[in-house]
Amino acid sequence: MKFLVNLAFKNLFRHKRRTMITSIAIAVGLALFILIDSMLVGIEEDSTRNLVLYETGSARIMDAQFWEEHENLPLKHSIDNPQPILEDLEAAGIDAAPRTVFRGELIMQKDPYPESGSIQAQITAIDPQRDPQVYLIDESISAGRFLKEDRLEAVVGAWLAEDIGAQVGYPLTIVTRTKEGFFQTIDLEIVGLANTPNPVVNRTGIFIPIKTADYYLQMDGSVTQIDTSFPYQADIKKQTSKIRSVALEDRPDLTIVDWKILGKDFVALAAAKSAGSKVILFLVFIIAAVGISNTMLMSVYERIREIGMLRALGMRRHEIRLAFLIEAGGIGLIGASVGVLIGVLLNIPLVNNGIDYSALMRDADMGYRITGIMRGLWSTATILTAFFTGVVLSVLMAFIPTRKALKLQITDALRYQ
Amino acid sequence: MKLRKIAWRNIRRNTRRSILSMSAVAIAAMAFVFLFSMIEGMKQDVAYNLQTFVTGEVRIRHSEFEKYKHLNPLHLGVDNYTALAERLESMEAVRTISPRIKFPTAIYKEGSTYRAQGQGVDFEREAEYQGLEEYVVKGRMPRNGQNEVLVATGLAKEMNLDIGDNFTLLTQTRGRGMNAITFKITGLSHYQFDGLNNSFFQAPLDRVQYFLRMDNSVSEILIKLKENYSAEEFAAGLNSSLTDWGRPQLEARMWKDISQTYSFVVMADAIYFIIALMFFLLGSTVIINTMMMTIFERRKEIGTINAMGMTGPEIVRLFFLEAFFIAAIGSFVGVLAGIGITYPTSIYGLNFSAAMEGVDMEVSQILRPVLNFKSTLFVFLYSTFIASVASFIPSRKSAKIKPVEALRAI
Amino acid sequence: MHTAHKKTLLLIGILLSVSMLSSLPLFAISAEEIIRKLEENQVHETARSEGKMIINDRFGEKVTTFKSWAEGEEKTLIEFTSRQERGQKILRTDDEIYLYFPDAAEVIRLQGAALRDSVLGSDMSYEDMTGGKGLLDSYRATLLGTEKIDGQECYKIELKAKGRGVPYPREILWVDSEIFVTRRVHMFSLSEKLLKEMRIEEYRSLKGKTFPVRFIIEDKMKRNSSTEFVIESIEIGVDIPSSRFSLEELTW
Repeated sequence: MKFLVNLAFKNLFRHKRRTMITSIAIAVGLALFILIDSMLVGIEEDSTRNLVLYETGSARIMDAQFWEEHENLPLKHSIDNPQPILEDLEAAGIDAAPRTVFRGELIMQKDPYPESGSIQAQITAIDPQRDPQVYLIDESISAGRFLKEDRLEAVVGAWLAEDIGAQVGYPLTIVTRTKEGFFQTIDLEIVGLANTPNPVVNRTGIFIPIKTADYYLQMDGSVTQIDTSFPYQADIKKQTSKIRSVALEDRPDLTIVDWKILGKDFVALAAAKSAGSKVILFLVFIIAAVGISNTMLMSVYERIREIGMLRALGMRRHEIRLAFLIEAGGIGLIGASVGVLIGVLLNIPLVNNGIDYSALMRDADMGYRITGIMRGLWSTATILTAFFTGVVLSVLMAFIPTRKALKLQITDALRYQ
Repeated sequence: MKLRKIAWRNIRRNTRRSILSMSAVAIAAMAFVFLFSMIEGMKQDVAYNLQTFVTGEVRIRHSEFEKYKHLNPLHLGVDNYTALAERLESMEAVRTISPRIKFPTAIYKEGSTYRAQGQGVDFEREAEYQGLEEYVVKGRMPRNGQNEVLVATGLAKEMNLDIGDNFTLLTQTRGRGMNAITFKITGLSHYQFDGLNNSFFQAPLDRVQYFLRMDNSVSEILIKLKENYSAEEFAAGLNSSLTDWGRPQLEARMWKDISQTYSFVVMADAIYFIIALMFFLLGSTVIINTMMMTIFERRKEIGTINAMGMTGPEIVRLFFLEAFFIAAIGSFVGVLAGIGITYPTSIYGLNFSAAMEGVDMEVSQILRPVLNFKSTLFVFLYSTFIASVASFIPSRKSAKIKPVEALRAI
Repeated sequence: MHTAHKKTLLLIGILLSVSMLSSLPLFAISAEEIIRKLEENQVHETARSEGKMIINDRFGEKVTTFKSWAEGEEKTLIEFTSRQERGQKILRTDDEIYLYFPDAAEVIRLQGAALRDSVLGSDMSYEDMTGGKGLLDSYRATLLGTEKIDGQECYKIELKAKGRGVPYPREILWVDSEIFVTRRVHMFSLSEKLLKEMRIEEYRSLKGKTFPVRFIIEDKMKRNSSTEFVIESIEIGVDIPSSRFSLEELTW
């Protein structure tokens, strides 16, 4: 056995060029497979990510009654005393941020605004400290700065700001009703504009510090929701039941709703895309497999004469087969390792920076500006699949010509062209 | 040409290997003939849906409407629309027009209210413009002049309504007052995209005008053009005509400028272009590898022909030709296979209704890929080109083999 | 929630302040007494009137005419007569608001958030029309002093909400010190910003009582947003069958 392994490895290093070419075939196939998968899943997850990281969080804790009437955003059904829940979640290592969402009328006065007017809006009060644990609004500030605690200031979605003609430094008045039903006015200063990858936030988002909202809306420490964050590959059911057991045991008045329900439009669209990506990925896999098989087949067929020689020298069939399979496995191992390495290395910039394809979209066809950046995504499962497929496929593909060669008469094998 | 013959012979000499190399290119080409057809189908589908239900090819509205659209500014309408409609219909480029009033409303039923999106239309015109008969799945189209309404199936289901039931809508009128009116449901409609199935209804234009106190105004006129007329040019021309007709307050815009959905499809197109590139690269690496293997294998042969007087560039050309033939045949077969799977699906369509349910985009639930000569040809040339360029790399190597190597290699 | 100005709003000139002819010494009166006198002025009988509502907003001016019937504090029926709204009716009984539209088969009961909607685009909401409790039930009144409004000596009274259930946490009322009618009202948000102002511009005396016949409500948060009410004719003590205020009669 040791002899066979030795033989296989000697062969590997003796035919350096052949080993190289074959393993390059495997490596390139696998690297591209990893990249395309990363890209496709990245695109697919993009809308999900935009939803979860900018709009819904992974799961939302609300008063059950609030959720029932969430279209009206009834402040009176808010979560009283959210602090212990936040503490419990924190202790369990679950990222969470309280928010209060309410409706109001935005009042703009001519000078500095181009025109006086008012619009109905939905305002989100956030905790500037905790919110970044769940959302990425703070990283999407395109002008000015993010909110600071309990000041009278607002961050406005970039498209909304453009619509109403607002800029950083402009005053903004919100007329709304408090939790008790009183009329309330909040005079704010716009300190920042948010330009996120989520169009809904850009078009409608208005953010103010939660302490400000708490005071002005007579919330008395209550909030309308606690948004939590967990990795999106995680099992939603497990995570929500974990949150339930960690923080909501003694709060039967509260309910938890995950992002799949909160953003069901998005999810449906993602499902449609996902079916398409799976087909593409399957095809990529087939092409890569063909490449690997082809090279492997060739490199063994080429050596049928060598097999004949070994048999003539008295080696037994299963020994030869084993030696060849070990060699193929070795090549597969080298190729797969290199491929995974290349795939992973190339995936780093793809995940971190993405490909900006906006230039590919001709301006003439576009009524709207869309930021066209395609980002990759890490998937351990794909990388492992790629690795094992590389090795197994190599061995499998070496098996076919080896068997054929072993069936030939020694004399035929020696003469094989 | 002798080289061509030799290249052919080499391809045929090892059929299995050649077929495998070809198949990699073929699969890539096939996939992209199909995918580009899908996108083309989606583009046409979205264009049709937008032009028919949302924006027209060109849309005329009051120029201030957009600015106040969140306030439902019905008073910023197209006044005395009948005169304008006559003018438009007499224009050479115009195929058909659709005057409409769009209004958000609450539907009142036994103490509960439901939100809905209403549209007043001239049903005689819509029979042609929307091809509306086709979408009436139960009952019949409402008649102009009657208090009748065509309700989308989703809304009817949500409100538990059926043919013959009352449908009471409550909304803001043109003068910012309130009004309510009761219509009778005469038909249920189901459209190919879900955005219109959940909260949409259509009622006779004249009754909606009366109910909203619109007089002879509509909120917009959609225009479909005859073939070969450019929406962009027509919109530009119409804008100056509107001024000439003493209606400078009106504005014509073409559909691509209005809707975002089309941009999304264009975006998908761009994304698939990148993926296509990677596909072909992958397919090409298979060819590269095969060629490298082949050259490696035939060192002896190359050395021999080199010794016999064939020059380096000729040898490169020989191998390049071999790769080119493999690539060309592969992509040709792939394109044929792509057409083979696209054609039947373009007849029967692919049903995405489960996936598209509840999606508020103007993309139909049943998509029919559309074979496009241009994109199909593009896939063929593109994959042949990339694969043969890629094969140039190993081909060049072949020239570097010296005659002595021929003797050394076993 | 029930304030003097709202009653005037609500009845659009029908719930009237009765002029107190006996003049009381200016200084020996508390805020509560002033409010009580103001409320005593409210007619607890029937009234019929006709008038118009002039709404100004960013899109221009719009005039709506109406007829109305009222009985006591809680029952009001308004029927609109202008072309755009002809035949539409608003019925208020106790805390309920019903809308009748001639072309609709159902009478629409307003509830919940819909009560916060504006009446025909005016600066008044349906919510402003409801309520039945006295002013002093909902508000704590403080006499701040006297001020002259349009040349008339007025008591300046601050009203602060006792608890939830009223939209404005704080109001200031200027009550005519001679005839005990409201001259001006300011409504504030919780953070003390002036939201709305109501100015009563004209009163008319009839059968020894004084009625506001022209008043203006301005939304102070928006430019060019105001609603003017003008009562053109008024009769009091007329015979109104109580069925007039029933749902069944609404559809006649």
